[in-house]
Amino acid sequence: MGEVSTAGSGAGSGVGARVRRKEDDRLLRGRGRFVGDIALVGMKELAFVRSPVAHATITGIEIPEEHRGAVFTWADLAAGGVKPIRAVSGLPGFKVSEQPALADGKVRFVGEPVAVCVAATRAEAEDIAASVFVDYAELPVNSDMLEAVTPGAPKVHDHWPDNVFLETNVGGNIAEIAATAPVKVSRTIRTARQCMVPLEGKGVVAHWDRHVEQLVLTTSTQMPHIVRAGLSECLDLDQGLIRVVAPDVGGGFGWKGLLQPEEIVAAWIAMRLDRPVRWTEDRREHLVAAANAREHHYEITAYADARGRLLGIEADAWVDAGAYSVYPFSACLEAAQVGSILPGPYDFAHYRCRTFSVCTNKPPIVPYRGVARTGVCFAMEQMIDAVADAVGREPWQVRLENLVPPEKMPFDNVTRKHFDSGDYPESVRRAVAAIELEGWRARQKAGEPDGRLIGVGFATYCEQSAHGTAVYHGWGIPMVPGHEQAQARITPDGGLELRVGVQSHGQSMETTFAQVAHEVLGIPLEKIKLVHGDTGLTPYSTGTWGSRSMVMAGGAVATACRTLAERLRKIGAHLMQAGPDGAVLEGGSVKAGAAAVTIREIAHTWYRAPQLLPADVDRGGLEVTAGYKPGSDHGTFSYATHAVAVAVDPEIGQVEILDYVVVEDAGTMVNPMVVDGQIYGGVAQGVGTALYERMPYDAEGQPLASTFADYLIPGFTEVPHVRIIHMLTPSPYTEFGVKGIGEGGAIAPPAAICNAINDALKPLGVIVTNAPMTPEVILSAIAGKRGAA
Amino acid sequence: MSAHAKTISLTVNGTRVEASVPPRQHLGDFLRERELLTGTHLGCEHGVCGACTILIDGEPARSCITFAVACDGRSVTTVEGLDDDPVAAELREAFSTEHGLQCGFCTPGMLVAARDVVLRRPDADNPAIRTAMSGNLCRCTGYVGIVNAIRRVIDARNTNAG
Repeated sequence: MGEVSTAGSGAGSGVGARVRRKEDDRLLRGRGRFVGDIALVGMKELAFVRSPVAHATITGIEIPEEHRGAVFTWADLAAGGVKPIRAVSGLPGFKVSEQPALADGKVRFVGEPVAVCVAATRAEAEDIAASVFVDYAELPVNSDMLEAVTPGAPKVHDHWPDNVFLETNVGGNIAEIAATAPVKVSRTIRTARQCMVPLEGKGVVAHWDRHVEQLVLTTSTQMPHIVRAGLSECLDLDQGLIRVVAPDVGGGFGWKGLLQPEEIVAAWIAMRLDRPVRWTEDRREHLVAAANAREHHYEITAYADARGRLLGIEADAWVDAGAYSVYPFSACLEAAQVGSILPGPYDFAHYRCRTFSVCTNKPPIVPYRGVARTGVCFAMEQMIDAVADAVGREPWQVRLENLVPPEKMPFDNVTRKHFDSGDYPESVRRAVAAIELEGWRARQKAGEPDGRLIGVGFATYCEQSAHGTAVYHGWGIPMVPGHEQAQARITPDGGLELRVGVQSHGQSMETTFAQVAHEVLGIPLEKIKLVHGDTGLTPYSTGTWGSRSMVMAGGAVATACRTLAERLRKIGAHLMQAGPDGAVLEGGSVKAGAAAVTIREIAHTWYRAPQLLPADVDRGGLEVTAGYKPGSDHGTFSYATHAVAVAVDPEIGQVEILDYVVVEDAGTMVNPMVVDGQIYGGVAQGVGTALYERMPYDAEGQPLASTFADYLIPGFTEVPHVRIIHMLTPSPYTEFGVKGIGEGGAIAPPAAICNAINDALKPLGVIVTNAPMTPEVILSAIAGKRGAA
Repeated sequence: MSAHAKTISLTVNGTRVEASVPPRQHLGDFLRERELLTGTHLGCEHGVCGACTILIDGEPARSCITFAVACDGRSVTTVEGLDDDPVAAELREAFSTEHGLQCGFCTPGMLVAARDVVLRRPDADNPAIRTAMSGNLCRCTGYVGIVNAIRRVIDARNTNAG
């Protein structure tokens, strides 16, 4: 186990090579094309009237006489046949919410769109929005998920019996262990509501293409084909009449993985007015109306033996799912996922978990990088440290005691997750060595001259990525991934066009898919063009989410290129008058003995000199659409151990990260530079979750942050210079052995940093269990202990 | 166009521009909407994220909190105007080598700020680079590639100067 040599030597520009990105030059010259950069002739701008209150009945909307015709409400859309968003889960007991693209008589969160205003410029559209008078009769508010599930809580949806989208129960064989386990530790753990904050907000340009007779929606999305499906349902328009295009997209992280009400509105207005329209989300809109991620609450108990061997885990978990169920992931995916993944990378037998997707007067929850794993890891890894503390062992030793060992791989865990490969304990051992734990322990003992407290923390996780069909069929939500497809076409000049339905928004796919194709065909990267993010030009795909694109679409690209390779080989052999068995495709040419024909020459033959082709040539020619699924439907399992050393100032509560190590296993890396970049970026977001990011709400459901001055995302001086150590265990089930890696970096930092802070605070006898661990949280923990003493 | 529009005269990327602008229009919108220089990106429009950083008379400035009317008589340079700038060229090369960009949205502002750091702080170590760049936010890269890219350019210039 360890650094297994895999397909791709790392040399050249195929799989494993650290090559520079094809997309860099245009972006470095400011010549990318984002939604906000697109201007169409006669285009109008949109601004939304948004609810200033969290829960109210709308008793009147007054539009000034001079702006009639420039302001539209749900009454207009409904009269035009627009239907509300319905994102239903097939899980038993799921309660359905209907989300109209503009509020229909009632608002359920601050920032909910109530009306849309159309003008020549955004500034003028905002002027009109400010002149619209909406009368709100305020209703009692659910601003906290735990209060929302108490008897008598106000109802977000009047016809529901309570405020729970879905309750799930997993496992149950825990009572005997609970009664007999030598060690029992319990914690209350919470993560805050966050905003995902891609640097580019959402945006959409919509127009009706009169020639093609199609609605063209150019939108900042991760999943154009799914947006098309959702638009079709809400607009009651055939999918063939809709084309969804994603241009350059400035980060997503999940926020661009849904059908947005604003997309529906823009599409409808463009058709209604027969004019191009544009909406660009501004930062305040994002921070207020899209505070939609991460908010979990756990009551969790771990049972263990005297060595710290886990005997069982028991938990109740609540996720604040907000006011509506989002399309396509639904309101229950996050909480229900908690039930299935809380056991993490550990091997134990007894488990019970009950989850609640709670409906509140907040923006609807959307899966954010790592989805439920960041919260789950935060909870589970605190429990490992709590067990270690109870049995008097080092936390890393207790991890080794419980992690699934390599000799058990592949391994089906207590919730029947199928871990595909890897050496989880080795990731811990390497992290312990790399962070130089002994040195920190000595420094802890000696004490710091400035009075700060040193702590070291670890967190280990495994991450199911590139989810298969069965899991999503089980959710019963509007989207189930099946075979991913790619189109590969040799151009008449011997280049290659690739078309995929996934969508790159920072993941470097223009480069990495070209590397995959180069690995198979030998065509140089500069002659390979990736077309993506356009329903009109690419095969159907559920899009880019769940760390799936390289596994799924990369696999499809390889499959399509292999079919092309075989066709090229046969034509090439014929041209050399060699038998097909003696010819090989190598380095961009078909070779037979000393003779060779280039792919360019073969392309010329197919397109320009077909009289020279063999009589039995494959009539599909030099263009292939191929589908792909990994050998296992269970997804891939990448994993990592994060280790962090911190200094905590007990006087001001400030945390400084002194060192940060990631030991991770993404299987075969197509481009190690890109993999590193995904991990660095993920860790930075995890540092935000751990220490800074929180959208506070008051009791009336008012968000208390609306700028980057009060919603803090980590900058240059907050994010450490992370050190990455790779383990390379190829997945046995995928092309080249790749595993999904895009989200992983964001999963473990809150847990590792929390454990490090608690290690530092140990001499004071206090712990923190809630993220973000701001100076206020740390100081109040310390003050609570002092007050009690 | 607003009845209160003011006429201004300024230089944009070396070209003289005369324009009638509404007093409330910020420089970022002016550059993007009127001059079609869409390389200047708007990430927050309240002066924190730094994506819209441009040069006014050679000094980095936030175009989102600068009114266009305040730029009468000034010289403005956007990322598009740095195509032939030698420091920017070195930075582009280094950003690509060190993977200092992913989605590319913060990148134009990063380049303008990084260029200023390279020119002003040839002595900067990595913590100094981080402090000097702390007015710009990136959500993709975790900053490592950007710091490495600036380090690479500073080191190369110091080696060549030495």
